[in-house]
Amino acid sequence: MKKVLYVAGREFAATVTTKGFVFGILITPLLMGLLMFLMPRLMMKAPPRIEGQVVVIDPTGAVADGLAAYLTPERFVERREKTRRDIEAATPAVFRGQAAASPVGEAAVKRSIDAALGTVPIIQVVTLPGGSDLELAKAALKTPLPKQGGGADTRLAVIAVQPDAVRPAEGKESFGTYELFVRGKIDDRLVDDLHAGLRDAIVSARLQTSGLDPARIKNLTSVPRPGSRTVTAEGERTTNLAMNLLMPMAFMMLLFMSVMTSGQYLLTSTVEEKSNRVVEVLLSAVSAMELMTGKILGQMAVGLLILSLYAGLGLLALVSFATLGLLDPTLIVFLLIFYVLAFFTFASLMAAVGSAVNEMREAQSLMMPIMMVLMVPLMLWLPLSRDPNSMLAVVLSFVPPLSSFVMLLRMASQSPPPMWQVWVSIVIAAGGVYAAVWFAAKVFRVGLLMYGKPPSLGTLVRWARMS
Amino acid sequence: MTNAIVLKNLRKTFGETVAVNDLDLTVPEGALYGVIGPNGAGKTTMIRMILSILFPDRGDLTVLGRPSALEAKDRIGYLPEERGLYKKMRVGEFLLYMARLKGMSGAGIQQQVRGWLERVALGDSERKRCEDLSKGMQQKVQFIAAVIHRPDLLILDEPFSGLDPVNQRLMRDLVLEEHRRGATVLFSTHIMVHAEQLCDRVVMIHRGEKVLDQAMAGIHEMFDPHQIQFEPLDPASDIATLRGVAGVSSVTPDGPVWNISLDKQAEAATVIPALVSAVTPSRVEIRRPTLEDVFVSIVTGGASTAVDDDARLRAALRDGGQEVRR
Repeated sequence: MKKVLYVAGREFAATVTTKGFVFGILITPLLMGLLMFLMPRLMMKAPPRIEGQVVVIDPTGAVADGLAAYLTPERFVERREKTRRDIEAATPAVFRGQAAASPVGEAAVKRSIDAALGTVPIIQVVTLPGGSDLELAKAALKTPLPKQGGGADTRLAVIAVQPDAVRPAEGKESFGTYELFVRGKIDDRLVDDLHAGLRDAIVSARLQTSGLDPARIKNLTSVPRPGSRTVTAEGERTTNLAMNLLMPMAFMMLLFMSVMTSGQYLLTSTVEEKSNRVVEVLLSAVSAMELMTGKILGQMAVGLLILSLYAGLGLLALVSFATLGLLDPTLIVFLLIFYVLAFFTFASLMAAVGSAVNEMREAQSLMMPIMMVLMVPLMLWLPLSRDPNSMLAVVLSFVPPLSSFVMLLRMASQSPPPMWQVWVSIVIAAGGVYAAVWFAAKVFRVGLLMYGKPPSLGTLVRWARMS
Repeated sequence: MTNAIVLKNLRKTFGETVAVNDLDLTVPEGALYGVIGPNGAGKTTMIRMILSILFPDRGDLTVLGRPSALEAKDRIGYLPEERGLYKKMRVGEFLLYMARLKGMSGAGIQQQVRGWLERVALGDSERKRCEDLSKGMQQKVQFIAAVIHRPDLLILDEPFSGLDPVNQRLMRDLVLEEHRRGATVLFSTHIMVHAEQLCDRVVMIHRGEKVLDQAMAGIHEMFDPHQIQFEPLDPASDIATLRGVAGVSSVTPDGPVWNISLDKQAEAATVIPALVSAVTPSRVEIRRPTLEDVFVSIVTGGASTAVDDDARLRAALRDGGQEVRR
């Protein structure tokens, strides 16, 4: 056992100290974490205030005033208040509760929303009558902005409303529209505001022209959309559709990523030992079974490191968004159980493939069927998440090596399977592990010293029967 | 005396190919055995079976008193023919790892690793990565990995291949040192000179079968072909004079030297004085057969073999050429 641990230790150390591992596995989550930490702080820095004039050539005489009213600072504030209310309504209750409990937290939330929306622009709308020279009006857009940003006289945009924008032309039913010209490097949010303001002003003008009251029409056509509430035996809570789909996916992806990455490392290191011819030196010191077991255990530790790193990051995200309550802690335990089961099955097959080939290129053809099988839960993620107790989901959760992935996905869903199914799945997966290790041990022993023509799957089966 | 290795009726096949066929071998403890044979003779397969890296189809084996080398791995040192190191690993770390896998423990290992590196003039390479070493240096590191745990049985598969003459001599000295320490040494080679220089006893394998198992001294006696090398003092001497001497069957000139073959029943002690009185020599000596001669004689079934085959075999045995393959 001591030798197995030495092999495992070397395998672990050799893997986690490679540049590929450090950059690919460790640096990526660290960068993600850093971004998660820095982004809100970077966004706190308010962008410069938008200030300047918008020229409207309005032959209808009915649009410019509506637009000017839409772009007043008061209306901007009003709209932002509404946006803030919408964001708050969409925020999970636990988060809102936590933020409200602390004045500092509430202020921070308000600040970050304000930062995201930007400071209120000061826009002066200059109306020109129809027939004014559009090119002359546009010329001012070409003058460069001073470095400190534009002042009140800076022309930000020119709008040319078409004469039939409010009333259709004689003998026609369709309305005209408008043209919008903006200066380079203008804030996108102003463009959006201009489009929204023009739409609002033109529609109001059309309604008034038709003898209708725009305010009344708006009232008549708006139906506030409430969030749905999930009713269960435990009680009633706001339905979180995103979480319903994302949580199972997150768990399955965690499992998939750790199993896949460490399995790939195992394959690479086995092929490397074989192609370096170091394997015979090792076999003079340890048996093939000890070598394989050591390598699998070493890579299992690598997988656990990846798993805990990414799971830790996920938990951190849940904590920072105060949504930890959505996570059932027993799921973490089952994540570990299914990781061990899935890893042993997959890693054994990887070790078998690695021992059989002479170089990585030859491994591709043998890997293909294994990869195809492993991709099934990923491909079926959506139907499995939507109906975690469908016949397909139930059957797949009893078929190793898919069972670990599918069962974990079902357990993380909103309608988890009965516990007896979970335990049956674990027992079957354990049987799968035994079969995979048995097969791999046989192939590993024969394959390690076989050089030359790359074997087919049939050859591997023959080796297993032969030894 | 107890035996370090006992093989009985060992057979191993790979598909249709019989790699080792009904092989018997007994290596006593403390012996220095050479296993010779051309490439593909079955030497490596036999060694791998001794080490339980491969398993025989049939037959029995005992290694250091155990039915399988797996039970005595820590007492065996092995330098395989297919040599390899972890490229990215540092030399010191690799040797430490191998020492631990060989059952060594305690704080002294590091010291022993350093000591060994100093002995083979690699003292400054402990922190170097294995890939940064030359082939010869790598081979020395592999040798250290095979002996660092002071094994009772040392098996070396083609230990001299790929080494320059200086390192071949160093390797030979190290092998002899291990033997003097008390280790049983079994090494394979297809270069006969190495076996002649090192071994107490030689085992020849050809096409998976043992064709010779004899002490070196006995081999010289057994295969003495009654050959005499004669160099006349006067290069203009008449070769026909010697052909007429009683007991001489043929005289073949080879540059300044005449190779004289004696009749089977003739005694060298009787014929040489007659040769000397017939033509005055500058040098005359009985030509002892080399291991190479013996091997070629066995493999080709005696002198009847075509000259070309004979030459090819000799070339293969001398320089490790790839000519002789099964």
